[in-house]
Amino acid sequence: MPIVYVLSTINASTLDAARWVSAIGILAHLSLASSFLGTILIAVIAEYIYLTKHDKDWYDKARMFSVVSTIFFGVGAAFGTLVEFGLVTIWSNFITIIGSAIVLPFYLELFAFLTEVILLPLYVFTWGKVRNGWVHWVIGLAAAFGGYWSAYNILAVMASLSMRPPGMIVQNLAASNETIAGLTSYLVTWAKPTDAWNMFWWGANVFIFHGILAAAILTWSVIGAIYLYGYVREHRPDQVKVLKIIIPGVAIMTAIEGFILGHLQGELVLQFDPLKLAAIEGMFWKGLKVDPLTSFFAYGTFNHAFWGYYSWPANVRPPLAPFDFLPIFYLGFMVTLGVLLGVWSGGLSLWYLFNGFFNRFNWAKVIASFLERTGPYAMPLFAALAAIGGAVTAESGRVPFILVESSPNPNGGPPTVTGVPVYEGGLINPNLSLPGWLVALIIIVEVAMPALAVYMVYLYTKPRGVKPTQVIEY
Amino acid sequence: MVSPVVVAVALIAWAFSVHLPLVYTVLGLGWLLPTLELIGYRSGKRVYIDIAHGLSNYLIAVYAIGGVFGTIVTVFLAGLLPVFTNIAGALLWPVWGIAIVFGVAIALPFIGFYYRSFNRLSPMKHIAVGYAMAITLTVIPAMFRLVFAFINYPAGVAITPSSTSNTGFTLSVNLTKALGNPTYPPLLSSTLLGAIAMTSILISSIHGWRYTSSRSEYHELGHRIGNTMGLIFGILYSIFAAWYLYTIYQYSPTVAWSIFGHPPSYLQSAFYELYRPTFNLSWMLYMNIALGAIILVLLVISIKITSKPIEALKLVLTPMLMDSAEVMNGLAHAPYAIVPPVTAAEALIKAYGLSFALNVAKWLTISQLLTPQINALLSLVSIQPGLLVGSLIFFAFFNALLLYVIYAALSWRRSSA
Repeated sequence: MPIVYVLSTINASTLDAARWVSAIGILAHLSLASSFLGTILIAVIAEYIYLTKHDKDWYDKARMFSVVSTIFFGVGAAFGTLVEFGLVTIWSNFITIIGSAIVLPFYLELFAFLTEVILLPLYVFTWGKVRNGWVHWVIGLAAAFGGYWSAYNILAVMASLSMRPPGMIVQNLAASNETIAGLTSYLVTWAKPTDAWNMFWWGANVFIFHGILAAAILTWSVIGAIYLYGYVREHRPDQVKVLKIIIPGVAIMTAIEGFILGHLQGELVLQFDPLKLAAIEGMFWKGLKVDPLTSFFAYGTFNHAFWGYYSWPANVRPPLAPFDFLPIFYLGFMVTLGVLLGVWSGGLSLWYLFNGFFNRFNWAKVIASFLERTGPYAMPLFAALAAIGGAVTAESGRVPFILVESSPNPNGGPPTVTGVPVYEGGLINPNLSLPGWLVALIIIVEVAMPALAVYMVYLYTKPRGVKPTQVIEY
Repeated sequence: MVSPVVVAVALIAWAFSVHLPLVYTVLGLGWLLPTLELIGYRSGKRVYIDIAHGLSNYLIAVYAIGGVFGTIVTVFLAGLLPVFTNIAGALLWPVWGIAIVFGVAIALPFIGFYYRSFNRLSPMKHIAVGYAMAITLTVIPAMFRLVFAFINYPAGVAITPSSTSNTGFTLSVNLTKALGNPTYPPLLSSTLLGAIAMTSILISSIHGWRYTSSRSEYHELGHRIGNTMGLIFGILYSIFAAWYLYTIYQYSPTVAWSIFGHPPSYLQSAFYELYRPTFNLSWMLYMNIALGAIILVLLVISIKITSKPIEALKLVLTPMLMDSAEVMNGLAHAPYAIVPPVTAAEALIKAYGLSFALNVAKWLTISQLLTPQINALLSLVSIQPGLLVGSLIFFAFFNALLLYVIYAALSWRRSSA
């Protein structure tokens, strides 16, 4: 491979520790961000239904979900700051790349963040205080828009890490024995200034909406499961009202995710990072070999040959240790469990929406009973593992690079895969030191914060006895 | 066309101007709330505890909005001064790390726990939680102020010539020596005292305003306590701020020249061109002293008489003084992002020659650290200025909305279970 690498002097255990700390932190932040996106969406939909049908149940749900979303937002935003400082301290050279190239989504993210942080409290604190309900709903809608816009920008950055946007130029200055401030030898720029908008090119949009939908599916699956658990035991009318919205919502989103966005995303991986494709599909061979199933999904034929994982040199291949986790996370978690989630949510959707029709058949009752009894456990499990599988596949599959691009190999071998490496000379802070106790402490904090958010939501939503109200004047 | 330096400085200054009063308030509340509780339990007067409980309602919201503006500051720094932020991240990573772990990961749960455990824990346990919260909140400025002290006077930094670096040199830092920065202790102390003073005055203003209508013991006490604390801590703040200015005069010639309007007496005339500040901000120093004097007079009057105009003036002028002092301190560094020490300049000239020393000084300026030739945002804005104009309109709108939300939060009567 005609690629020159900066020799790493930072030891491998520090690099691995940095990756674990960042991976767990990002997954934890994603869980909080997903929870916010899902719950604020339910809040505005519930309020819309209340305003059109004047059903008090929906008012209560809307108000409750608006507060729940605020809890997730508050902890998630704080956690986002933690992740941001993770970039500054652990992957410090990424900061230069932000400034020289990928700043635009971060800049626009500020406006999205402002929208969220100012409108969300306004939405929550003005229940019953704004005379015109539609005005209040618009405030909520704008707050939700801020959340989704925020996700849009951050996912645009994540998309660029896996697929180098058109017009982006990555230079390795090591070839000319140069560095930037002695910290990194990689310079990332644009061919022309307006190419900065290419951070939002169509491929990035596929990645973005794939991620946003995954977030909504995950949260709605968990909420659907909670309501299903209650409905199986209590059979309250307000529970079935929610289920009739949530469960079909999960089914529709899962179908779009799998059949449209997932397929397009797969085609992009094939184009931008065939090595990642080989790693996640489990194509563990050297040289070209026909893979009928992948060939069918990618090209509509059964005889297309693909370069196997071992066709590339070891120093550019994504790691598989301690076990072949990438195919397990991709094929096992994301694809298989995603399909099962579609089966559960699709079956329950048919049962709730066309109950009058299916209730006549005993077989339908048996299936529905099975889905209802297992759904509270199966749906969140499937959704969570599928989401984790997707995130790990996307982010670990591109390692050891960011801003990945592949180009035809002039020597006739597998396509050349290039990018900015995560190791020293690339992204990692060359001064970093991560002793075991520090790694353990950071991971405890990373896990504790989402747990705290869930506990706060539990405190807020748990049934309470009637207490006398103490009025505080201030 | 507006200069990139002006754009960068204006955006960062704006974000700081919103961020700082909010985080000052959080820091001040962090120390005041358990203290009010302690006084309440010791004296047996429930109203102190009610005031603390009432104020704690706003702690998380102010913390969250302040935190968001902190993120905005960081993004501006990364986007507009990428090489500076990269160097700062690489060299001072333990400082950032400790600040963020305490500031977010530990302080936030403490705030939530403190708020939720009112009337659920025994009094002394709850007060202990409150002070633990205050200590963790204090770690944030303790770390960030070290960075501020670092840009005044980069103590502990070693500069090594490098033929491969685009800057011509590389930097390393001895963190132990960095902690010994002479501008750090007065800066941190005045920050803490100023935060408590400002928050106390804001509390007294709001309660005083309410007291003129309700005449309740609750507001009378909040007004009185706020005024007393504001006066005591305001005077202490003035003393420590003066100490800070003294250390600045001794160690950071550009900042001192900008604030006092003339070069420090020890600065040789040969160095005048090197250390000449971009702005003469002596008028801001006089304005700040005048503002401080006016607030002092208002506090004294407010102790004797409660009237809405006086309380409103205190409410507006106190954050204004805080912002003005911070902006003055920040802008006084220009043209530098990090002011090179005189001793370092002399040592570099002696060791590596004048041109190397001048190159180092050049790379410590804002205009050079902006790296306009590789700055994607500045390049884009220069071609599409509408992006910048739109941003400013958007920012202005949301600032106004923020003020409205704060007003609404303070004016609505709240009830809690």
